[in-house]
Amino acid sequence: MDEVTSTAHRAAAVPPPVRRIVLDDQPTVVTPGANGNGNGNGTRTPAVRFAASDTAARERMRVEELTIAYAGRVAVRDVTLPVRQGEVLSLIGPSGCGKTTLLRSLNRLTELTPTATRGGRIALDGQDVDELDVTLLRRRVAMVFQQPNPFPMSIFDNVAYGLREQGTKRPGKRDLAPRVEEALRRAGLWDEVADDLGRPALRLSGGQQQRLCIARALAVEPEVLLLDEPCSALDPRSTQTIEDLIVRLRAEVAVVIVTHNLQQAFRVADHVAFMYLGELVEYGPAADVFGNPRARRTREYVSGSFG
Amino acid sequence: MPPATAPIAPRRPPAAPAPPPRRAKLLSGLGSWSDRRAELTLGALACAVLVLIGLMVVFVFSKAWPSFWHNGFAWFGGGGDVDRQLDNIYNGPSRPSEYVYKLHAWPLLYGTALTTIAGVVIGLVTALLAAVFIVEFAPSPIRRLLEPVVRLLAAVPSVVYGLIGLLVIIPFVNNHLIGEGRKESVAYVVQLNGSGLIVAIVILSIMITPIMISIIVDALRSVPQGWTEGAAALGVNRWRAMWTISVRSVRPAIVAAAVLATARALGEAIMLSMVSGSRGFAPNPLDGLTFLFEPVRPLAATIVDHSEGLSVTPFAQTLYAFAAVLLVSSILLSLGGWAAKRPLARWSAR
Repeated sequence: MDEVTSTAHRAAAVPPPVRRIVLDDQPTVVTPGANGNGNGNGTRTPAVRFAASDTAARERMRVEELTIAYAGRVAVRDVTLPVRQGEVLSLIGPSGCGKTTLLRSLNRLTELTPTATRGGRIALDGQDVDELDVTLLRRRVAMVFQQPNPFPMSIFDNVAYGLREQGTKRPGKRDLAPRVEEALRRAGLWDEVADDLGRPALRLSGGQQQRLCIARALAVEPEVLLLDEPCSALDPRSTQTIEDLIVRLRAEVAVVIVTHNLQQAFRVADHVAFMYLGELVEYGPAADVFGNPRARRTREYVSGSFG
Repeated sequence: MPPATAPIAPRRPPAAPAPPPRRAKLLSGLGSWSDRRAELTLGALACAVLVLIGLMVVFVFSKAWPSFWHNGFAWFGGGGDVDRQLDNIYNGPSRPSEYVYKLHAWPLLYGTALTTIAGVVIGLVTALLAAVFIVEFAPSPIRRLLEPVVRLLAAVPSVVYGLIGLLVIIPFVNNHLIGEGRKESVAYVVQLNGSGLIVAIVILSIMITPIMISIIVDALRSVPQGWTEGAAALGVNRWRAMWTISVRSVRPAIVAAAVLATARALGEAIMLSMVSGSRGFAPNPLDGLTFLFEPVRPLAATIVDHSEGLSVTPFAQTLYAFAAVLLVSSILLSLGGWAAKRPLARWSAR
């Protein structure tokens, strides 16, 4: 009781740190070395090369000097990032910092927005994604959205949707059943829905719907899985299930997860990229970004003084 | 410059509030109804509508009964010239015991079914494709032009369509599409003059398509973006996503649009009586292409065409029988629409 009042007094005496966002402050950017010569921008701190142990995981995608603008308003500026298989890359940052835009550009979903323009290169296994057929790209780079978006059909049809649409010949139900089961098992949903796969997907709970969406994305066996704040609409238990799933998946697919839940990024990520106002401020192993951030903004963000 | 300040009104003594004007009282009275009162009043109004519909059905059937009673199931069958039978009913003896009722209405029923079904099928396919185009593929200037035009077309009175059909399409069909040889080939049965089945179907489908486009466009617009985005993220192109997700999920709206359009097509009288040839003839599909040019006359058009004969009791009763058939058809239509939508509701969100 005493201590509480004294703490309250102290809190009243010393005002909390002012939440201040200095927009025109030159950011201190720490980016991974983009092929050695960086961005050629003299005002930036020298790019930090990664130790060899960091690159043990196989690089699947690479974003280079990516800039995306909506109707001329820049949402992502000059970002360079690798996406590796065998690890989870987490994009963190405050709302509106361009992390979702960056994620959506990885499988060219930004092209659905008519006003979006893009500069820079995105490569999948060394091949420029602009040279790939967009439908083929999206089959290799699957995406799970913030709001669970199961289609208005049965659970089975939801998971089988991608398989049916992607095959040149529509596979029969007998061929599909094992693949649907496998996808549902990988997404950790099988035990809950196995008794009735004909149930309408929209009658599932929110967490089940999101896992169904993950199963739908996994069914087509993508090489990269993009997750856009997959747990932001979910309860803690569903969140836990999905986070476990993400950690399990990373051996098979390269996982990129956008979150503005720092604790979540800390729990699941191997590498973390901190974005702020469209720029990549810091990229590095999760332990370094959270434990020993190099850029001032990252330090302020992970310590909670803004965001 | 100091801001203009309104003088503050002196506080009125609370003793004598001025009575508000009557009109304001009436309106404010309506606004302050209790829920209970509103519920009862609205419930009574709804029940009044039900009672009205019930009375209408009873009235029409009681009037139509003699026509059905005298003919039995033959009423629905074919045989003889239905126009001549109608003339006989009209010109029959005026003593009630000698009323003539003999009628085989098949050509009229057949004509109704032909024009309605063909018009709705053509219209529905067109409307669906047009709606998909407007929602998903049209560049925005075209979309901005198309949508008001479609809504305008939906509001054009049917008699205007009938007039255009009569003055433009029928002469064109008569002069350019029906050759002399075709006219002679059926001259001993029926005379072809341009008006007929194909003109009726074409104009009917043009007439009912805009309302279907509007309904389907609105439904497609309300498909959650997450669904189309989700399909796109699975590597499905816009065309496939449209059919497998959007159109699939708006099936209830498509059924509703079809029911509405069918009801309008069933009840359409003036336009059809102007362009259908207005002859109680059953076009024969075995005639090949000539089939399309043969005249018909649906039930509703028959009622309009013969409404001057209502003073003759058996004739009026015959027309009531037509009305009864239309009434039953629209009731069955509503039930059919309901039955078609019911299994689809299973997939929607709660």
